[in-house]
Formats: sequence, C-alpha cells, structure tokens
Amino acid sequence: MTLPSVYIGGIGLICSLGGNPEAVEHALRRNRSGIRPLNLFDLLHGEPLPVGQVDALTEISALPRTHRLAQIAADQALKGIGEPPEAIILGTTTGGILTTEQLLREKEQEILAYRYHGLHSVSDYLAGEFGCSGPALTVSTACSSGVVALAMGLAMLRRGRVRTVLVGGVDSLSRLTYFGFHSLQLVDRNGCKPLDLNRQGMAVAEGAGMLLLTTDPAAATHGELLGAGLSCDAYHPAAPHPEGEGAFMAMQRALRDSGLNLEDVSYVNLHGTGTPDNDLAESKAVNKLYPDGHPPLSSIKGATGHSLAAAGAIEAVVAAICVSADLLPANTGLQTLDTELDVEPVRQPETDSVDVVLANSFGFGGNNGSLVLGKPRTKNSNTSRQLRRGFGIHGYCCLSGAGKTAETMGGLTSGGAVAGRAELEKISEGLPSRLVRRLKRLPRMTLALATGACENAGLDGSKIDSVYMGTGWGALSETHDFLERLNDSEEQFPSPTDFVGSVHNAPASQVAMMFSATGDNITTSGGDYSFEQALLSAELMFEGDEVSESQALLIGADEGHDRFSRIFDQSVATQKELADGGAAFCLNRETKGARCRITIPFYQRSTTVKVIDMLVKTLVDRQQGEPKIVAVLAGLPGALREQAEGQLKKFHQLSSLAAPVIDYRKFTGEFASASALATALAVSFVETGSVPGILTDGADIVVERHKHSILILGLGQYITAMELTA
Amino acid sequence: MSTLVEELKVKLISILNLTDVKPEDFDEHAQLVGGELGIDSIDVLEMVVMVEKDYGITINNQEVGQKVFSTLANLAEYIEENSP
Repeated sequence: MTLPSVYIGGIGLICSLGGNPEAVEHALRRNRSGIRPLNLFDLLHGEPLPVGQVDALTEISALPRTHRLAQIAADQALKGIGEPPEAIILGTTTGGILTTEQLLREKEQEILAYRYHGLHSVSDYLAGEFGCSGPALTVSTACSSGVVALAMGLAMLRRGRVRTVLVGGVDSLSRLTYFGFHSLQLVDRNGCKPLDLNRQGMAVAEGAGMLLLTTDPAAATHGELLGAGLSCDAYHPAAPHPEGEGAFMAMQRALRDSGLNLEDVSYVNLHGTGTPDNDLAESKAVNKLYPDGHPPLSSIKGATGHSLAAAGAIEAVVAAICVSADLLPANTGLQTLDTELDVEPVRQPETDSVDVVLANSFGFGGNNGSLVLGKPRTKNSNTSRQLRRGFGIHGYCCLSGAGKTAETMGGLTSGGAVAGRAELEKISEGLPSRLVRRLKRLPRMTLALATGACENAGLDGSKIDSVYMGTGWGALSETHDFLERLNDSEEQFPSPTDFVGSVHNAPASQVAMMFSATGDNITTSGGDYSFEQALLSAELMFEGDEVSESQALLIGADEGHDRFSRIFDQSVATQKELADGGAAFCLNRETKGARCRITIPFYQRSTTVKVIDMLVKTLVDRQQGEPKIVAVLAGLPGALREQAEGQLKKFHQLSSLAAPVIDYRKFTGEFASASALATALAVSFVETGSVPGILTDGADIVVERHKHSILILGLGQYITAMELTA
Repeated sequence: MSTLVEELKVKLISILNLTDVKPEDFDEHAQLVGGELGIDSIDVLEMVVMVEKDYGITINNQEVGQKVFSTLANLAEYIEENSP
C-alpha cells in the first residue's frame, strides 16, 4: 500500500524565547537569546548557572511545571480543532520531578501528593484535559524523546490506526537535570555558544513543543512531516560516538524515509548543544552526509538552551515555522567559529525559501533521531510498503521474586506465588562484573533478561537490531541515590554516575551496547501499561523488512525500591512486601519457527464510552478459523482493583467467554510491568501446551497449536489486550 | 606519599565499584583511564567529585584532568602538591 501523507495541522510552543510560536519566531528573527541565570529555585551555594527558563510561568500550582508547560503548548496546537486527538505521544524525561524534589525535602508522607511524579502522568493529564480516548503514550529516550515521539506519531498515522495524533515533548527545569548536567561538567558558565571555538557546554532549559499530526490534507496548515529516522550509537551511556556514526545513520534513515534527496534539504537544524563532544561528532556526521558541502545550517540552542526531551519537539515546531515563514534562524551565541568542525553556520537570521528542513536530536544512551519536515507536497510520493501485524516470539526470559524463568515457572506450577525481589547477586550471575560495576538494580535486571531471552532464542546477540523497553518508573535506585547525595552534600557533590543512570532509557541503552544494536532504541513509560506501550512501539516502528534476519528485543521491567516504589506506585503502596521483575522477548515479523505469535489488538482509555463493548467486539467476534481464546491473564492493578474488577465483570457479561481468568498480580506481586511477566507465563503455557490448573482453581487447560490463544488483559485506567497465539 | 597511594587505591575501588580488584593488585603506575580497568569519562567525573570532597581540590580543566588521572600515582602526586 502507498502510505498516507502526514501533515502538521497545529503547532504549540513555549520556551525561554517566548510563550507561543509567534513570540519565538519574533525572537529568532532578532537573533535574541533567552538564556539567563537560573532563578526558579534557590541554591545553597554559588552563583546560578545560565539556563533557558520559562519566566512567564510563575504562579504556584499543585500541578507540576512539566504538566503545565505541556498543557500550554497543547492548547495552542489544538486551538480551533473541533475534535480531540485520537492518540497522544509525548516525550518527557522529568515528569513531575521538580514537585517530587520539593515534596521529598518537606518529607511529605501522603502518597497522593506524589501522583504526578510518573512520566506517564503528563500524557494522561493531557488525555483527560482534551478528551483523548485512544492510547496516550510516553516516550523517554533522554534528549531525543521529542523526535522519537514525532517519529512514532508519523508511523501510527501511516499505519492507518488513527487519523490525528497529538505529538510533542516537554521537560521542566529541575534540580535533577540542573545539578546532573553540571556534575558532568557539560554546562557552559558563560551561556551557550554552539560551534564556537570556546564552547564549554550547554545551558539546561525547559519548555514544550506540540504538534497536531493529521492525515487530512485540508488541515495541512503548518507543512508536512515527511520522514523520520532513528538510530542508537550503542557506544557509551553519555558521550556521543566520536565519529558521529549514529547521528549520520539517523539523518540518512530520515532522508530515505522521506523519499527525498540530499539536495532537497534547504536547512539543517542541528542538535548543536554546545558541548565540545556533541558539536564535533555532529559536524563529522553532517560532513559525511554532505561530502560536497552542506546546506545552510544552525543550532538554535544558543537562543533557547537545551530543553532535553522537549528540544526535538520544540525544534520540529521551529522547523515548521521556518518552512511556513521562509526563515533561516541564526546560530545564536556564536562568536568565534571552531574551524576544526569544518561547517559554516548561518550567522544572522535570513529570509530565504525554506522547502525542506532536516532536524536532529540526540540523547544519552546514544539515542538519535532525525526528522524531515517541509512544505506540503502536492503529490504523495511515499513509497509503497507492506505493513505487517504482530510478531513471532523466538525466545524469552523472565524474572520474578523466585528467580529467572525456570525458578519462576517451577514456583508457579507448584502453586506458590513468586512475588518478591530476587537477590541482586543472583540477578547479576553471568553478567561480566566490569560491565555492570556501575549499574544498579534495574539495568542489571534488564541485561539479565536480555541475555536470557537471546540464549533462549539460540541467538548470539549479534542479530539484535532494535530494543523496545517499557518501564513504569525507570531506574529508581539511581534517581533516589542522586537526589539523596545531592541533598546530603548540600548540593555540592551530586553523582555523575547516578545522573547518567537515572534516565529511563539507561537500561535499554546498556542492552544496545551489549549487543551492538544500532537500530531503534525506544523506552516507553506508561505506568501499569508500560510493557504494552513498548509492544505498541515495536508494532509501529520495527518493520524488519530491510533486516529480515535481525530481531528486536521487547523488554518490560521494574525494580521494587524500598522508598520510592512505595510512594510513587499506588498499587505497590497497597502491599506489605515489595515485588519486582519483568521479562524480555526476542521477536521479529517472521512467525515461522516461532514459539508463538503476539499482537496488541486493543488499547483505549477506560473512560471511553462503551469501552468494554469495543473490547469485546475486537476480541470475541471471531472469524472462522481464528484461534479460540482458552485462558485470560488479567492485570488488576492494586490501586484500581475495584474499578478493574467491575471492568472484568462487564467483559464476562458481554463476551460470555468461558475461558478461565488468572488474576496474575496475585502471583507476580504488584509492579508496573507485571504484564511483561504475565506474557512470559503465557509463552510458557503455549510451549508446554498446558495452563496449570493450580492457577485457575480448576483442571489443567490444554493449549493446542494453531487453534488456541491466550489473552493478556490490562484493566484499570486503560483497557489493553495482548493476544498470544499458539 | 605511599600512605596516600594506598588510601586512594581503597577509595577508587570503592567509588568505582571495582569489586574484582584488590588494593594490593592495583598498579598505581598503570594507565588509569582507558586502561584495563575500563575506567572512562564518567568515572573521571566521579573521581573529580571525590578529590574535591575529600581533599578540597577542584579540577575543572580537561587538560589538567587528563594529566592528573593518567595514573593513580599522578593523582596522588597532584593531591600532595595542591593540598590546601
């Protein structure tokens, strides 16, 4: 099929340069910088460093700053649009952390006060505010998050799942990011001057950029999103590949995806953070892409600062402005060009025809993304592609309180719950000690799962191309230890190691490094539906047609942290004992020889009118020859148990499905990505051809190949369904 | 001086979590960053923090840092020379 074109039907923007697209355009035309010394929070020592702060947002609110920035930009992007977006995809790394930092300082014990901590709470909030009933996905790939969100929105629209998606990125300033980047010595005390001979780093910033993407050509008011390309350096947790290999791949893939040629690009918007390493690596990548001279290019981060997860989305909005206003923005802050970089940036803002913009964003973990935006094309020149549904699972591994796959299955089939936390030493068995010496609980769990899944698939790991990981709460140990040391040392000695490890995508980037996986590397964080979001991301992004031999790793994992899990995850707070775990799966589009097939046919917000009717219609109205559902693994998060039980009851009433239900959190314990562990259980049932009766209080259930399937239902705030076909 | 070298060996093993290294096996003249121990730029920053916190010496210049952290012996010498 020829893929539909994707247009930009609305834009919203708030950053240090201004509170809306018009104000930002005005500032860019005047080559003005919004970087000033921080005054958002008080410091115990020293002079405040220059940052890109949004001064307009001053009033105190219980709603965290990130959520408010997101709402302002989303309001602008959706202005005049009659209907709510059918899906939301947001990139963020901070969530409600600024508020959480304050609550922790005040030793707040009331867990309800932390309800906006989670990254997913931002997109959930917007979904509620704007009445979006479809998936609200949260991507957290550090500073490339915004671009990854746009890339996923593009894929979702091309696949025809929906007609409109609100995409964007948002981050607020916080102590975590302010002191974190400072501890890495990546902040320039004199402001930010990308590409300058004397550049010493970035200016940490905040903001939000939002775009309404649509397949309706009549709504193409701000141009067209022509293509996207992602890559992973698989090189280092924080530093870019010195030759810019990943950056080059991302740009090349984005251009290929757009179907355009190198010479079609009128302007390159650089990631250009102003750190010595980034600007050098990115310049090398640009020169490799354009050996005979590059188009006009600049970084606007000397004007805006680096707003982390928001940056890619903000710069996509700026690219849309450049296209519609024929603006070439200057490389603000530049004084003495670093000639070693061998690039010639735009020195002063210019008005010139801008048809196509190539925009870059790169992040920790070597996560790279590039976008191609342009004036709407009159003719759809998209390539024709076969888009497949579902994946074959070729190997898997799980982790529970009982241990890895064998211990977990053994524990379950003998009727015992496997809830708990496995010993860290046991989890780390077989992982090289030098490799994991800096890693705390979640990244170790993740590496153990990834290697276990590859072993189970009989893969040496060299075939792993992409990684899709879901985690509800990310690396809690690193986040906790960073904040605690920051506090204990009176803000003087924060840990650079913990900061680098604290980003949600740190575990998945460790996996990429271990397996040299240079394809997509996407981490989603959707609370109790994080694993489902990771599967949805894989479904959207991993075609595997170019790389038919290669496989993707799909991972879901969460750590149980003594302090943080109990205050952040309201389901954990209902339990005495902590539990954690997860699972990893090797998969690709090939189902031949696979252990089973997995699909994700349903994902809706539970407030959707007649949502259970929709679920039943999707699942139970089966065509002749489709497999019969023989068991249901149902996820009822502890905090929403009553609501979830009601949903399950209604599902039974409407579907009259006789298959027994396993209320799996009773066995796995409460943790956000418990559905990953449930999926591993389902794979093992398919493998052994039987669901043990001890789990259903009945007789063993036979699972027959090609005839039967197992359903994994997510209940509560969202209604999700994954189906495993034997 | 040798007491400082021994002290630093224990400290580095602890802050860099070099669980498989014993102080007596730590060669203070071997290449520290980029050497066999797998110490990289993030570890250097962690050591910068330790030097500032425990010895009151600030290293915020990359060139100086490269020299200071080339070997553990050099680090000890730098601390000795610059102690307040």
